[in-house]
Amino acid sequence: MRRNVAFWTRFTWETAGVCAAITGVLAAISILKADRLDFSLLASVVPYFLCFSAVFSIMMVNTGAQTLYVPLLLAMGETRRNVLLGFQYYRTLIIAVTIGVCALVWLLVPGELSRTGLQSIPTLLFGLLITSAAGSLLGTLTVKWKWAGTVLVVLMSGVAGGFIGLASVGDLNLAADTMQMVSYLTVLPWWLVMAALALFAADILFQWLLLRRREVKL
Amino acid sequence: MNERLTEQKSIYLQISEMIETDILRKILLEEEQVPSTNELAKLYTINPATAAKGVGLLVDDGILYKRRGIGMFVSKGAREKILEKRRAAFAENHITPLLAEARSLGISKEELLNMIGESSI
Amino acid sequence: MSLICENIVKTYGGKEVLRQVSLELQPGKIYGLIGRNGAGKTTLLSILTAQNPATGGTVSLDGQPVWENRASLKQLCFSRELSTNAESGLASMKAKEYLRIAAIYYEGWDKDLEKRLIQLFDLDVKKKMGKLSKGMLSMVTIIVAMCAKTPYTFLDEPVAGLDVVAREQFYQLLLEEYTATGRTFVISTHIIEEAADVLEDVIILHEGKILVTGNTQAFVDSACHVSGRAEEVDAAVAGLETHYPETVGRSKGVTVFLKPGQSIDGSRDVSIQPVNLQRAFVALCGEEARHEA
Repeated sequence: MRRNVAFWTRFTWETAGVCAAITGVLAAISILKADRLDFSLLASVVPYFLCFSAVFSIMMVNTGAQTLYVPLLLAMGETRRNVLLGFQYYRTLIIAVTIGVCALVWLLVPGELSRTGLQSIPTLLFGLLITSAAGSLLGTLTVKWKWAGTVLVVLMSGVAGGFIGLASVGDLNLAADTMQMVSYLTVLPWWLVMAALALFAADILFQWLLLRRREVKL
Repeated sequence: MNERLTEQKSIYLQISEMIETDILRKILLEEEQVPSTNELAKLYTINPATAAKGVGLLVDDGILYKRRGIGMFVSKGAREKILEKRRAAFAENHITPLLAEARSLGISKEELLNMIGESSI
Repeated sequence: MSLICENIVKTYGGKEVLRQVSLELQPGKIYGLIGRNGAGKTTLLSILTAQNPATGGTVSLDGQPVWENRASLKQLCFSRELSTNAESGLASMKAKEYLRIAAIYYEGWDKDLEKRLIQLFDLDVKKKMGKLSKGMLSMVTIIVAMCAKTPYTFLDEPVAGLDVVAREQFYQLLLEEYTATGRTFVISTHIIEEAADVLEDVIILHEGKILVTGNTQAFVDSACHVSGRAEEVDAAVAGLETHYPETVGRSKGVTVFLKPGQSIDGSRDVSIQPVNLQRAFVALCGEEARHEA
């Protein structure tokens, strides 16, 4: 188990690295577009960038984890049960870290946007849960059926498109527009919770069903 | 013809000896065609040139002869020739090492003759 | 303590790849697993190490199940043959990264040996696996197998793609590791003759079934090749287990497998020659292929 934790923790930091890099790019875009720099405003927007980067990287990494790392660990003599548990540990950790960093930034930076941000945390959390479930579900499905891979590519392109949109919305000159945009997130809709729970249940079920009969192929 | 090649001896020597043995055993008869070098090459998975070299040795010894456009044949009197050759080499190939081994084991000539007398040929 | 599999069956889409395979692997031996392409070697190794589930049958180590049992699994290492085709995610992983994950998972990982072997093979571990040649990938699998220090270690075609010098290095390394630790190794290979002297026991897998298992030398010694005039050969081997008959004109050759107590009728004018492991294997498993040819 110690080894399992060691591996997945390392894996989490790698995902976090990808995530931080994307956040950096988004932040850089919005800085370049700004006429004057308002650091506190930028600071309260960055957590949103972070969340969207997390959506992108979690989706991507989870798929990779299912198609590559799961068989790799089985090949190294890990039990299927531990692989399942290790993966749950990893996804919990990455979401906790993302939300934790967002909360920390919003707590430290004063302002209207930060207050809204703190209120949006439940919605962001469930959003990330959905992402995480969808990512690994698609990864699992890709292992079984190739077409799922195509769905993933389409979905990822959609998310990537969303980024560009977000980066322009995150115009530091139009703080009011940004406010209005993110204010939708302060209310956690019931269907989001239901969708997250359903996807999660489906994901773990599929993961386990597949793991039990998974054949290692490297 | 269906013996296995070993690593102890040059392949072409083994090929020529194998054909000789087959003639001795009347597997190949006089005035009968022997397999071509290509057939030999395929049979033993060896290079055709090596097979040709083994066959060439026998042609030099007059055991095989070539009929233009047809192939290699066993010469008349080939069997007798091989018997003669092998008999001539018998002492050197078999008696000399036998005596050498007997000497190193301290077996006397008398004991040796007794052993030979007791065994059937 | 030994690794035992009983009545292993594996089917893929109705096709039986392994048919009732039972095997006992004793500690402290080097086993050779030989069989033709598609005989089921990789599948068998995968099932022995719980990397693939079996359709039927059980695998146990020292009486404990291997499936989903970390206590057993950590004593096993199956260093798979690595392929880095377009579909494999491994292609974009650096060799170094692969070795690092192995180092995390194998408890007895020998870091010094890893360094030594990387140097010995002159392997560029900073390269991505997709950029490594077949031989270099074999080196990676050899490094994992050696450094894992597991009591039971399985290698699938470890010398594939290696040049003669590297192959010699591998056999030396294997013997060095074996004599120093007494670990059990199971090695599947197509380059039979080269490995024959290293393998204490041989397991011949043919069409999903085990044909032979036992001491390599005893198996080789039980086989011989009989040739001469067809009638003489037939008379000399009457009642014996024969395989792979070849005839040319009046001449015939056949490979004979003698059971204890059996012998060839020596009064016949035939040549009796020893065969090597490779010839014995071909005689046993190559018959159908030749008929088709």
